Amino acid sequence: MNELIPLMVIVPMMAALLLSAFSRFNKVIKCLALVVGICLPIIPLASNYGLHFFGGYQPMVDNVTNILYHPAITYSFDFMQQIFIAMVGLLTFLVIFIYLTKYKKASGSYLFLLFMGTAAVTALILTDDIFHMFVFFEILALAQVGIVAASSIDYSYEMALKYMILGSIGSPIMLLGIGFLLAMTGTVNVTDIVSIVRGGLLDVTSPVFLLSLGLIFFGWLYASGLPPFHTIKSGIYSKAEPHGAALLQSFTVISMISIVLIMFRIYSTLPIFEVLIVLFSVVAMILGVSMALTQTDFRRMIGFLAVGELGFIGLGIGLGTQYALTAGLFQALNEIVITALLFIGFGAIVHATNEVDTRKLGGLLAYHPKVGIMLLIGGLAMAGVPPLSGFQSKLMLVQASLSCGYPELSILTIMVSIATFVVFVKTFYSMFLSPKPHDLEVVDNEVPKAMVFAMAILLIVIIALGLFPDVVTSGISNYVGGLLL
Amino acid sequence: MRLYDQIFNVVKKFKELFSPGPVTNADVSGSITAEIFIIVSIVIAALLLRHVSLLLAALATLILAIVLINNIPLLPKFKIEQEDSLEKMLFYAVFVLGLIVIFLYWGGTLV
Amino acid sequence: MAETQLAILFTSIALVVIGLYAAIFVDNIIKKIIGISFIEEGANLFIVGIGYKAGGIVPILMPNMNTTWFASNASYPLPYGLVLTSIVIGASTLAVMLALVMVLYRKYGTLSTSVMLADTSKQEEYDE
Repeated sequence: MNELIPLMVIVPMMAALLLSAFSRFNKVIKCLALVVGICLPIIPLASNYGLHFFGGYQPMVDNVTNILYHPAITYSFDFMQQIFIAMVGLLTFLVIFIYLTKYKKASGSYLFLLFMGTAAVTALILTDDIFHMFVFFEILALAQVGIVAASSIDYSYEMALKYMILGSIGSPIMLLGIGFLLAMTGTVNVTDIVSIVRGGLLDVTSPVFLLSLGLIFFGWLYASGLPPFHTIKSGIYSKAEPHGAALLQSFTVISMISIVLIMFRIYSTLPIFEVLIVLFSVVAMILGVSMALTQTDFRRMIGFLAVGELGFIGLGIGLGTQYALTAGLFQALNEIVITALLFIGFGAIVHATNEVDTRKLGGLLAYHPKVGIMLLIGGLAMAGVPPLSGFQSKLMLVQASLSCGYPELSILTIMVSIATFVVFVKTFYSMFLSPKPHDLEVVDNEVPKAMVFAMAILLIVIIALGLFPDVVTSGISNYVGGLLL
Repeated sequence: MRLYDQIFNVVKKFKELFSPGPVTNADVSGSITAEIFIIVSIVIAALLLRHVSLLLAALATLILAIVLINNIPLLPKFKIEQEDSLEKMLFYAVFVLGLIVIFLYWGGTLV
Repeated sequence: MAETQLAILFTSIALVVIGLYAAIFVDNIIKKIIGISFIEEGANLFIVGIGYKAGGIVPILMPNMNTTWFASNASYPLPYGLVLTSIVIGASTLAVMLALVMVLYRKYGTLSTSVMLADTSKQEEYDE
């Protein structure tokens, strides 16, 4: 059933094109979007693991050097890809469900952007071809800009243009790095590059190879929103519609891990690669959380928290052992779910009050108890309170950094978790528990049912992953073990 | 006593940090937490230098601790550098690109 | 000859550096975008330069060609294919950026970056 592997990208992309072509027929695109949304998480779960060679060009053996060459664009599908694609598919379905129930008249172009983004991240995580990765990285950036610009929040165009301008510095620099690699190896297939590097056919200490690492690394910083791009990343989260932001952060996390895993495979022989990743992750954690503590706009605050949490993923990958990588990837999975829950929940509050300033809110627990409780559990999960999923992955990260001989990083991890907790408690207190200001009018007493439904599903995932982390971690651990060979 | 005055000034400075409007207890306590968090986490992160050289780590930690504590409030300075204007974002992006390239080209084989 | 390839590489580096300079120091948003697209062109030119072969032929295998001779004389076709894709992406990025600039120009009536794309967090007034 390996035919399903390319379908994971083709289905959302086809759906995107059809939706934008037939955007005049409201009923048709609503049905189509819903059906494709349901299919998205099912396809990866039904598919078998394996490789897919586009155009059917099978790998060729070079008779002189005995190296296997891959002439085709290759997609590799394993447990790690399966779980992440299924999770993004689920999230896309929930977001589309919220969108379709919120607006009577669905916009084909907006649905196009959502599906195109999903197709792009799916291709990013599946691909084994470094240029293919770059192409979808650019398509993803365009889709993200579109999602931000489509929102009706003030200054969303400005933020979208800023993101685009920074992106048009980040991505050509990454292309330059890919060009350096191509010049040294003559191929863009990651497996081939890895076998050339490991086979000693390439001088890994040459400045060109090091420079290619630096340039691709800079592109990765842009894709993942680590410093210096943390301000713009949190900015676009706060300027997108809440359900759009929930999807945007999952795009960020997945593009982060898929690019860093490709870099890890190529450059893990260089010790400086791990130093760089740990350095930027630590800076991201410090800056993200400390900026989140001073925000009064709660959308921006979640945005900064989401960026700070990315540091945990980077930390796990930077430590470089099997356990640490597993912990980092598991943290990535948890972050996708938890941050989506928080964005949707706070989006429900915006919908109900038309207010984003925590200083002007208060006493909402009496009006929206269900949303309040679910947000509280989500926030606790993000801060790493047992028995929720965030706790499991953060515990793994602390153990991993201890066993690698970096107790400082463990302390830092715990401190950042505590600060995250402070941020969340502060916001939750001033929004839900403090006395209600006199001039606050709760415009719409009903939170949309679709939002509550989406939050409930995400909450079930959080609790299930917290109670039974082995379901995911053992599979990821096997995958990582294969990666480290 | 001097430190106390300094912390008191910090709280006054925080008022300018927030967009216009009343500043609540929760915001100020959040900002003080952030202030302490920045100092402590940077000092702890500096301890990582001990894997390079023990003496360097000791010196860096001491100097950082003294410089950071003498320069409170740090948060307004941090926040101004991380505002939303495109000029600052672009400056830091290109600056970091330069740092990475220099670090890798000349120091890549040392680590 | 190799000088041609060297010239291509130096030109591409010059384009990247000019682009980075424009990104920081030019205030007019249109000029800034033109400068930024220089970076992209520099990267494209660099990749084209990789595929260059002194005295090489077009990498199309004609029916009456000797394959060994073709393999040693044809230039490397992969970079050209990549650059073609990259140019298309660059053009669409440029189009989206300019469209956003048009919208913002109508709102602000100026093309100055320091006005148009300044810090917006403070402008969101706390209205009583």
